[in-house]
Amino acid sequence: MDSIFWLTYYYELFSTYISYYWLYFIQLFADYPFVVQVSAFFTTAMFMAIFVVSMALLLKAHFRKKKEQIWHHLNERFAEGISYCLSAESSPKMTRQEVIKKLGIEEDLAQHKVLLKSTKEKRLFAKLLRDLRFTYTNVKGRHENLAHILEIFSIPSFLENEVSTAGMHYKVHAMNAIRVFKLPISLWVINKLINSKWITVRRLAMYSSVSNSSDSDMDYFESEFFDKTCCVYDEIELAYALQRRRSRGLRLPNLARWAYMQKNPATQCVFVRLMRRFNQDENCDQLRNLFQESKHKKLIEEISRTWGYLHYVDGEQLLVDTFLMQPDDTKVAILHAVTRMATGKQLDLMSDGFHNTVNPHVRFEALRCMYNYGEEGRALFHKTEAEATESEKKYFAFFHNPITLEKIRLDKEQAYHPSIETVYNLSY
Amino acid sequence: MWLTIYYIFSYIVFGYTMLILLSYLFLVVQSYRAQRHLKIDMPDDSSIKYALQGSPLTPGVSIIAPAFNEEVTIIDNVHSLMQIDYPNYEIVIVNDASTDRTMELLIENFNLVEIPYDVAMKVPSKPIKRVLKSTDERYSKLVVVDKEHGGRKSDGSNAGINVCSHKYFVCTDVDCIVEPMALYRMMWLVVTSPVPMIGVSATMLMSNGCTVEDGRVAEAAVSLRPIPLFQQLEYMRSFLIGKLGWSTINALPNISGGFGLFDTDVVVKSGGYDQTSMAEDVDMLLRMVTYMKNSGQDFRVAQVPKVCCWTEGPSDLKPLYRQRTRWARGLFEIVSHHRKLFFNPHYGPIGAYTLPYIFMFEFIAPVIEANGFLFMVWLFFAGGISWDTAWIIFLMIYTFAIFMAVCVLYFDYSAQAVNWHGTKRNYLRLALGALVEPFVYHPIITYCSVIGYSQFLFNTGSVWKPIARRGVKKKQQTEKPAENGKTTN
Repeated sequence: MDSIFWLTYYYELFSTYISYYWLYFIQLFADYPFVVQVSAFFTTAMFMAIFVVSMALLLKAHFRKKKEQIWHHLNERFAEGISYCLSAESSPKMTRQEVIKKLGIEEDLAQHKVLLKSTKEKRLFAKLLRDLRFTYTNVKGRHENLAHILEIFSIPSFLENEVSTAGMHYKVHAMNAIRVFKLPISLWVINKLINSKWITVRRLAMYSSVSNSSDSDMDYFESEFFDKTCCVYDEIELAYALQRRRSRGLRLPNLARWAYMQKNPATQCVFVRLMRRFNQDENCDQLRNLFQESKHKKLIEEISRTWGYLHYVDGEQLLVDTFLMQPDDTKVAILHAVTRMATGKQLDLMSDGFHNTVNPHVRFEALRCMYNYGEEGRALFHKTEAEATESEKKYFAFFHNPITLEKIRLDKEQAYHPSIETVYNLSY
Repeated sequence: MWLTIYYIFSYIVFGYTMLILLSYLFLVVQSYRAQRHLKIDMPDDSSIKYALQGSPLTPGVSIIAPAFNEEVTIIDNVHSLMQIDYPNYEIVIVNDASTDRTMELLIENFNLVEIPYDVAMKVPSKPIKRVLKSTDERYSKLVVVDKEHGGRKSDGSNAGINVCSHKYFVCTDVDCIVEPMALYRMMWLVVTSPVPMIGVSATMLMSNGCTVEDGRVAEAAVSLRPIPLFQQLEYMRSFLIGKLGWSTINALPNISGGFGLFDTDVVVKSGGYDQTSMAEDVDMLLRMVTYMKNSGQDFRVAQVPKVCCWTEGPSDLKPLYRQRTRWARGLFEIVSHHRKLFFNPHYGPIGAYTLPYIFMFEFIAPVIEANGFLFMVWLFFAGGISWDTAWIIFLMIYTFAIFMAVCVLYFDYSAQAVNWHGTKRNYLRLALGALVEPFVYHPIITYCSVIGYSQFLFNTGSVWKPIARRGVKKKQQTEKPAENGKTTN
């Protein structure tokens, strides 16, 4: 009750002061022309704004200086020890006691001293640890040592607390740190963040959820969740998250179904590509409807590539039937897909691709696919080469020159299908 | 009668002044909002690198750098470009038939050999004579294009676009010093955008006054010479307030030719750089916007608030005069060539807001200012100045200029746009520069603009001359290496 009284009192006092000076200001310039009144008001406002911004700048500088002092102190005290624990210099795996000894904190722990006193110190320590983790990101087998350090300094509980209670800026930092340290995160925290108004927070929560949650929790994404904001980065992170999920032995979601549930074709493309990357060949038939119903050329192209990559032979005839109606990039994708399926029944398609299309890129790809389409394909290639007109000979010249091929961007097949083993089995 | 006209004229000019100030204020507010958002949405460099470096989905970037008679600096500059940290990029150096030893030096130093090559001329440029690649594995990212002389940077850039093989390209000058993390910073905005990002503008500052070591800015500092100092303030205002502010409403009108990232496909479909244009960078972005809007596609153009590139600007009046009159001619050309976009909401926020702003407050302003100055001189001799009014209006404009400068310093410090070597000293220089800039530098720029307009109208002075470079300071002594495991905040 008292607090309300005092609040009202101070509010009224403040209002009175403001009104007084406002009226004083108005009467001071009352006899002057309108131009002067406006200019005077604006000038006063500018003086005040300059004062406020300058103060903000000075305050920021002051706080940054304090922060730098803490950072410097942490760096001096722990950086060398942590580097040793994370780098290749140390033994592959250290015990908790060894880590404590290396960090020089035996006495502090024996005397039950708090190692990191303030929230600011904890934040900066987490940042230091994260930065050093980045430095030694390629060194394998140090995760146990990192886990000891995190446990000794109670960083996991601190980060989870930050994620659920801190301001948005710190929340994002904490979530990033959780991902870098590969820490588990409570599902209730993820669920709380997954509907945040900040897209970055939503994204980070989504990646954590896809990495860790149970199969039933994944149903959440069988909606238009991704549609509004899906981007290349989502694809990158979803790929990593699914990889982590697979390495933990958890079942992968039905990505064909996820693709079907989205309305935005670009988002659908993302899931079709992910399907390809994670070899979900059992769900290929679920893409048939999407292939037949969609008018989006990129989506049709991605489905064609996926079918080819996953050897979905049942879809071959559908691809061949629509070949001549498709735009050039999709034609190339169909040629690649049919070549990968290697059923040996579609030599006519290769021939059509070379003789009955106009785009040089499609024609060249048809030749390349013809060459790679078994013995019969190669025979047809040589026959076509022998019968080639002057203008057609340049396609064969390109074919025999790999440097040129690389530079004119015709190795799309390679670009679209990097080896999953080499790419996603990195120690991330 | 004359008195009435005089009063009406005065009020119109006053209203115009207030509109300019309010529009700047709007940009300051928008820029502040952008900074707040980016603080959350754009992580620090190491996090960006960690997220993007290992993925095959990280889009590739081609760096296109046209060169003409650059024998003195070309080798250092190519080495500098090779220090860029990004997993998937190529460097395309376009030799515009240099008459000095530029090409020979490149061949000798990088073990270049001619490769068989068939270039599809997707955008117009002078014929390409040969394409060279290195036999040395260390320089596998380097592609050198030797072409016939086009005489313009735009021609060289177009040749580079024809040769480049990645989805995005960055156009730069060989003498620019690129920050190692620049591509990561720019591509972060590309990969996190839910709608296609057709261009990203990078913050670019003056390297005059900086110390350079091994092709990198080792010590960022503000020049003590007045002309570069004023330009540094101007650049900071332009990138950290103007462009960042406009980018929040997807209305960025210009991606600097010094260092900007573009979507290759969209550029090709828009026709590439115009080889006759005086302002080819603005012209191309406007054509890209026109193409995207006319084909009904959604898009974004964004601004990176952190400095990505350093360029040496004119340090004397004469080259400054030449540069600014050329920019003024370019602006006039843009206004006349792209007039259908102005005040046209069909072209989105750029047509509805930015281009009208440019027309009213950047194109017309120098003319009004010059007239105002002459009018004041006449009134002074005629004894018609109301000093009560004059001083308060003057004070209003002056305090506003100071306010803008303080805001720039705040934004720079807040976003840590530049890692200044001795922040206090540099900020003090900038602050002192801001106090005198309205009296010294601004009138010069206004004069150059008016002259540039007259040159455009009477078709004179259109010969392009490169700016004479003084060169940046090079660090003599290398610093002691950091202690093991120590990181910097």
